[in-house]
Amino acid sequence: MSLSDDPGAGGAATVAEAPAIFRLRNVTKHFGGVTAVEDVDFDLQAGEVHALVGENGAGKSTLMKMVHGLYAPDKGTLEVGGETVEFSSPRDAEAAGIAMIPQELDLFPELSVTENLFVGRHRPRTRWGTLDRATMRAEARERLRSLGVDLDATTTVKGLSAANQQIVAIARALVGEARAVVMDEPTASLTEREVQQLFRIISELTSGGVGVVYISHRLDEIFAISDRITVLRDGHHITTAPADELDAEELVRLMVGRPLNELFTRSPHSPGEVALEVRGLGRAGEFEGVDLAVRRGEIVGLSGLVGAGRSEVAQCIFGIRPPEAGEIRVDGEDVRIHSPQAAMERGIFYVPEERRSQGLILPFSIKNNITLSILDRISRFGFVPRAERQTADRFAKDLSIRGAKVSDPVSRLSGGNQQKVVLAKSLAREPSILLLDEPTRGIDVGAKSEIYRLIDDLSKEDKAILLISSELEEVLSMSDRIVVMREGRVTGEFKRDEATQENVMTAATGGRDRSGSDSSREGEAND
Amino acid sequence: MTEARAPAEQRGTSPRDAFRRFMVRPESPALVFLALLVVAFSLSSDKFLSGSNFESIVISVAVLGIIALAVNQVVLCGEIDISTGSMMGLCAVAAGAVALSTGGLVLPLLAGIAVGAFCGAINGALVTAGRIPSIIVTLGMLYALRGVILLVTGGTWITGVPEEARVLGTGTVLGVGYPVIILFVLFLVMELVSRHSTWGRNVFAVGGNRRAARLAGLPIDRTRFLAFVLVGMFVGIASIIYLGRAGSVQTNTGTGLELQVVAAVVIGGTSISGGRGSSLAALTGAVLIGVILNGLILLGVPGIWQQGVLGALILLAVATDVLRRRLVGDKT
Amino acid sequence: MSAAAAALRRLSFSREIVLLGVLIVLVIVMSLLSPLFFTVGNLLNTSRFFVEVGLMALGMTLIIITGGIDLSVGSNLGLSSVAIGFSFAAGLPLPFAIVLGLGVGTAAGLFNGLFITLLNLHPLVVTLGTFALFQGLAYGATGAEAVSDFPDWFAYFGQAYFLNVVPGQLFIFIVAVAVVWLILSRTRFGRYVYAIGNNEEAARFSGVPIRKVKVAIYSGIGLLVGMAAVIYTSRVYTARGDSGLGLELDVISAVVLGGASIYGGSGTIAGTVLGVLIIATLRNGLTLAGVPSTWQLFVLGVLLLVAVFLNEFFRRREE
Repeated sequence: MSLSDDPGAGGAATVAEAPAIFRLRNVTKHFGGVTAVEDVDFDLQAGEVHALVGENGAGKSTLMKMVHGLYAPDKGTLEVGGETVEFSSPRDAEAAGIAMIPQELDLFPELSVTENLFVGRHRPRTRWGTLDRATMRAEARERLRSLGVDLDATTTVKGLSAANQQIVAIARALVGEARAVVMDEPTASLTEREVQQLFRIISELTSGGVGVVYISHRLDEIFAISDRITVLRDGHHITTAPADELDAEELVRLMVGRPLNELFTRSPHSPGEVALEVRGLGRAGEFEGVDLAVRRGEIVGLSGLVGAGRSEVAQCIFGIRPPEAGEIRVDGEDVRIHSPQAAMERGIFYVPEERRSQGLILPFSIKNNITLSILDRISRFGFVPRAERQTADRFAKDLSIRGAKVSDPVSRLSGGNQQKVVLAKSLAREPSILLLDEPTRGIDVGAKSEIYRLIDDLSKEDKAILLISSELEEVLSMSDRIVVMREGRVTGEFKRDEATQENVMTAATGGRDRSGSDSSREGEAND
Repeated sequence: MTEARAPAEQRGTSPRDAFRRFMVRPESPALVFLALLVVAFSLSSDKFLSGSNFESIVISVAVLGIIALAVNQVVLCGEIDISTGSMMGLCAVAAGAVALSTGGLVLPLLAGIAVGAFCGAINGALVTAGRIPSIIVTLGMLYALRGVILLVTGGTWITGVPEEARVLGTGTVLGVGYPVIILFVLFLVMELVSRHSTWGRNVFAVGGNRRAARLAGLPIDRTRFLAFVLVGMFVGIASIIYLGRAGSVQTNTGTGLELQVVAAVVIGGTSISGGRGSSLAALTGAVLIGVILNGLILLGVPGIWQQGVLGALILLAVATDVLRRRLVGDKT
Repeated sequence: MSAAAAALRRLSFSREIVLLGVLIVLVIVMSLLSPLFFTVGNLLNTSRFFVEVGLMALGMTLIIITGGIDLSVGSNLGLSSVAIGFSFAAGLPLPFAIVLGLGVGTAAGLFNGLFITLLNLHPLVVTLGTFALFQGLAYGATGAEAVSDFPDWFAYFGQAYFLNVVPGQLFIFIVAVAVVWLILSRTRFGRYVYAIGNNEEAARFSGVPIRKVKVAIYSGIGLLVGMAAVIYTSRVYTARGDSGLGLELDVISAVVLGGASIYGGSGTIAGTVLGVLIIATLRNGLTLAGVPSTWQLFVLGVLLLVAVFLNEFFRRREE
């Protein structure tokens, strides 16, 4: 397969280019004040596997959602088969031959394999106008066989393994006569053998002329399967190159390599006793064998990619879901935390990842959001005192929450200030152990540095802080120690002065590190 | 994503595999329970297992069963309909009035179906276009329609319905009562529609995973609307059978029926959250209720306990549904 | 914002003003329909009916704010009523029988609350089941008979006059309104209720004890139902299993009319009280005008639909 090299800095199409299955030209997409994707080119040729890589927030899913008709680009165009198109819904995209297989698969668990393949599509009919189930079943079997798979087309989907469900999703794309299939993290729940099976299926697809966009963090897989690789970073297109012209090291560097511009300088300090310790913590399907320790006055950065299981670990410690294995120790004592209230009583507080859906009650005022966690402490005989307002004012001032009075609805604030409200709510509780989950996601630089200063101050007050973040710079500049997770396991631990972007990223993605050892897939049993 | 792993992907042919496949079906617990009850009641009362008793059970639940078959579709979509009691009263009034004025069978039947379909269409429109939760719509309609009955009849009963209009309630074919035949025919029709029509399959998708259904471009509003209209039509058919059996219509005809219908659907194995169930479940549930009530009578339990038994059964059915899902490890 | 939208906005902010206006219009209409309506005696007597519905509506407000619903309140009333009557007839001194009635009502509500929270079931289907169960228990345990043999002083709850003019139960109601209003707007419990209704997940992450709050509100309405049962039984001087049948419609309609969103997250006691007044006025006025109760239910049913539709219509316009 020879393809002309397209380093892709938004050039005009040459007359001699073969029409790609689809092509995005100079697309830009904003959400509110945030630019998700800026001036990006991407195209998919027939019969190729084109990998799309980048850190979280790089813009991969936004880009593909534009191809799939969920969003329309603010600037730039989408071409399918050489013609400019505008999709108003995923249906249009599917009609144009572009199919998307999201991580959650979007199947109907109670329906059979055959029915899942045909939902929403043109279904063959008998003479009498009823659905021709025999024909549908036969076609389903044919599709599955063409993928080299032997599955009973009449079983209900919910009884299938994750790998087989994914095969059903792929077969569904084929029934729709897709010419392009976008796969988002397809191997997240697969065993080694199932991954090989998937690769075989992908080869079947491409030999039939179908193009595959492969979004993944697993560098070894990317190098095994793709023809071309495109790297995105911070919404910008960095490069597009044939896979054999890159190696893992370089890829990692392209994905993360920004000048490490220290937004913040961590104050010198010496950590105290171990405040929070977790040993062998596990929950089926989420994470296992997790060991962690955080001392007073220490900031431990928990790094990794989306789906590594970091939020799940923190939520488990906070009592949202009980652990199935392992133990938690607070100040040296074994504790059983079965609810957020129990965690709060132990001095633990968790600041959730999703500000709007988990951290705030948007119709509530700023004051009511801040005090929600301490109502039991400030109320007398159950009544909420008028002094509540002063408490809220004090926090608003301490955290420099700007943009509205505390009696205004919190929905009126900017993202950065909303995040401060969430932090204020957690600080109001005076926790000694803080679990921060992506505390600076989606906020501007100014607010970010304020929050960094705040976190630093908190550690000076001897609080133990676990900082979950996918932003490497943030983790590297804020943490005293960094723990890295991948696929539910701890894969690396670095002290501040040992950690570099490369080794952290390598532990997070399982790519080959400098020593040449393969840190991927060790001991992954067939489950 | 569910974490369940299938023990074997291939369709096993051993008796054990067939048994497992049977037990996993939504209506199996109810069928098993029904079988056990039939055995238990026939052991405790020799009147139970007579053919005429069994036929009279089925006849008594024919009205219930027919409506349950349709409400089953509404529940499968993820909605609910508790207006069927008043709807049936109104359809019976319409059918009865037409029977008294023009006679015959076809016209009253059509009148009942038309009125039912119209009421169902109102329900459907308020739920889809009005975006009002179906529980509120059908709760309001339950009372509103009861008032319409009073308005239309002025409080008087409809009596003296001519024999020809009562055929479907009292007549027999080859010794089997019409209500039984109609019930089974409609059951077969619903099974066919449910499995072999686009709308029938869409109902499962819309109730099972509404988000995915929307992304797949399914006509969610139209699917739900049609389900409500179907209920109205089936209520119309049931009302003619009721008219046939009772020979008259009172202003409180049908009161309390809606609860029995929902009970039948839920007890039979259709999940209240939608997407899972079958017509067989609705039929089984209706027959089960008939058997239970009949058995209670034979055992000498006073009829006033019926309501309580019904309520307890509903609670039992939804509780076991939850426990079953937890045991299976269904994290949805 | 256009002038029309701004006007709409003002309209929804002063929903209570709108309701007050509706109430006034209704009073005028009813007075025209029957000369008996607008007399002091009648108006005060209306309060007898609305106290029962009103007490239950107070509890229902909290439940609907959390996004739940309780269809079993009418049957619960019947159950509590027969608990009072029949235990008294069986020999229990009436004061104890009254306490038993309150206990039964609360226990029934507790049952609902536990079933809903422990099994994580939707309140709709659970209370549909208990709607039948409670009614069945009330009928079955009493053989569908009635007890009417109460001592004279029992009438005090439901039929007494204070100062010869004001019905006794009005005071109970006013106190209840004050208490529930305080709870909802001034205590942390009330704050928790609103939090759960607006964003249950965020409430969980903020340490709100969700299960405890839910069990408490369903038990709470049970207690209020028990109180309503005492007053009702005293007023009609009979304890029967089918008391309270159909009252859930009045109760839910009152709360929705008062501005609470059926999806949860909003609702006020003031709105609910106005909703109760409107419904009571409607019922009383129509009864005086000779309109039979089934027709009244028709009006109520239509009213419920219209109220929910308008609620959501204006709410969506506001967004």
